[in-house]
Amino acid sequence: MNAIGETAAALQRVPSGVPGMDEVLKGGFLKGGVYIFQGTPGAGKTIFANQICFHHAASGGRAVYVTLLAESHTRMLQHLRPMSFFDESAIPERIYYVSAFRTLEDEGLKGLIDLLRREIRGHRAGVLVLDGLVAAEESAPSDREFKKFIHELQSHAAAADCTVFLLTSGRTPAVVPEHTMVDGLIELEDRLHEMRTERCLQVRKFRGSGTLRGRHSFRITPDGIRVYPRLETALATPSRRPASPEGRITSGVAALDALLPGGVPFASTTALMGPSGAGKTTLALQFLAPATTEAPGLFFGLYETPDRLRAKARAIGFDLGAKEARGDVRVEWFPQGENLLDELGHHLLEAVKKAGVERLVIDGLGGFMESAIDPSRISRFFSVLANELRALGVTTLCTLETRELFGPVLQVPITGFSSLVENLIVMRYVEVRGRLVPLISIAKVRDGAFDPALHAFRITAQGVQIEAPFEGYESILTGLPHETGEHASRRRRSARRRPPEE
Amino acid sequence: MKTVLVVDDEFGIVSVLEALLEDAGYRVLTAANGRKGLERLAERRPDVAVLDFMMPLMDGAAMARAMREHRDWRDIPIVMMSAVTEASLRARFDGYDAFLRKPFRAEDLLSAIARLVG
Repeated sequence: MNAIGETAAALQRVPSGVPGMDEVLKGGFLKGGVYIFQGTPGAGKTIFANQICFHHAASGGRAVYVTLLAESHTRMLQHLRPMSFFDESAIPERIYYVSAFRTLEDEGLKGLIDLLRREIRGHRAGVLVLDGLVAAEESAPSDREFKKFIHELQSHAAAADCTVFLLTSGRTPAVVPEHTMVDGLIELEDRLHEMRTERCLQVRKFRGSGTLRGRHSFRITPDGIRVYPRLETALATPSRRPASPEGRITSGVAALDALLPGGVPFASTTALMGPSGAGKTTLALQFLAPATTEAPGLFFGLYETPDRLRAKARAIGFDLGAKEARGDVRVEWFPQGENLLDELGHHLLEAVKKAGVERLVIDGLGGFMESAIDPSRISRFFSVLANELRALGVTTLCTLETRELFGPVLQVPITGFSSLVENLIVMRYVEVRGRLVPLISIAKVRDGAFDPALHAFRITAQGVQIEAPFEGYESILTGLPHETGEHASRRRRSARRRPPEE
Repeated sequence: MKTVLVVDDEFGIVSVLEALLEDAGYRVLTAANGRKGLERLAERRPDVAVLDFMMPLMDGAAMARAMREHRDWRDIPIVMMSAVTEASLRARFDGYDAFLRKPFRAEDLLSAIARLVG
């Protein structure tokens, strides 16, 4: 164990009570530490700090929330009251709100430090929040005096085992004196990207422990703040040893199992690519049909509503509703709005873990891509997501819509996509004598044999029906095939033998 | 002219109550916490005290208790105000004459004071 690890093991942690935050901090704040939360007005600092206080109170601790020039306590409590973490009964016994503005005005930093010390002692507080640090900073006659104030506060906090959170809108310079002194600095942002915004946080400094580096998205929900640790760093190493890739499981379509052969490899990821309307979702539903209560399935959809899915399943003789009622299959639907990429990833993994899912459909990857504010993340995001699913023993089928209905080029909008998945199934249309014919083919099965032939298929009342190999044509993948000479003459001979119609 | 002592740590609330009560014809004394409030009492005896419950250094309950134990102040009517429910408050202290939950309407405060000072 290295020096940092040893220190971290010796220090007690204070859980934040903010879902996802302790994962970013690798265990929570350090007891007795002083932390700065910095962010522009509206970034979420006050909710963050209150959520920490209420969690601390719910765990049996006591917290004091001190404001300087911030919103009034009455307004603050009115705003917090609808949030599920808010517990009226915790105030004033376990959470105590006071304003220290007048003290700061009348007695300066010395009066303020005296007030904070007394409040920590008087309420036996394990958590202290000072909301509006910038007011204290502005009242300091010099940087040196302000540093002395922070230093004194640190000493009192450490002596009382009280963890302190200082909230500030911050100053312009990148490095300010107090940042060098405190145990941690957490920056909250509300970033604008073209028309949409994304809340994110970054742990800029954290003494005594490693953290998940970089920016992490968060949302303010009716339950308070929820942080979504960036998947590429949170799951840089899968949470467990990957499941053995041995064995195959049925794809839910017998004829497809014959092409693969024996079904898709266990705990693998299969991409099902094809243009809109080709039958990807229908095939994906068939993939879920063998799911059972013991080996449950999950349909994680971003496009079709659960009702439409059930209707689609009914049309191929698959009673999805009954499977859901039995607990064989669960449907999670995230309508396309302004989802966050990591939010989708975490919800997916939570749903998988909660139900012990073994068969997973992601319909489709395009929805994830549209949620990504930074498209350069997509490839690594899917890579770690696939690794984690593999480690959890989940066999995954994900759909990906291709842009062209037919043509010589398959546009895959993800860099290095082929290397992210073990298996690749392609659905496409070709034009044959004035008709569009849907074809399916296996393009890849990692480390396994498969039938590379192109097969025509139809969608019937039984679902996707795969037919015999599509032979007798050349240049099929251009989308505009032409008959081979042998096939054309055989067809002409067959037509001549046919008796004339009456 | 009747005198009202307003004790609240929130600067904005003190300013609003001070203006409101002065407009209504009261003389107003102010303090930012219970300890300062007791100092004001020693300087001048008010006809009614309006105390916030949660304050630094000495809260409204502690100040009210000190008033009730003091020979000269025990009969001064007390209006307690707080952003939390009265039920949460009563568990700690109930020695007040009226309770106002923040935010309250100006008329509610004025009528409570008028009722107490006669």
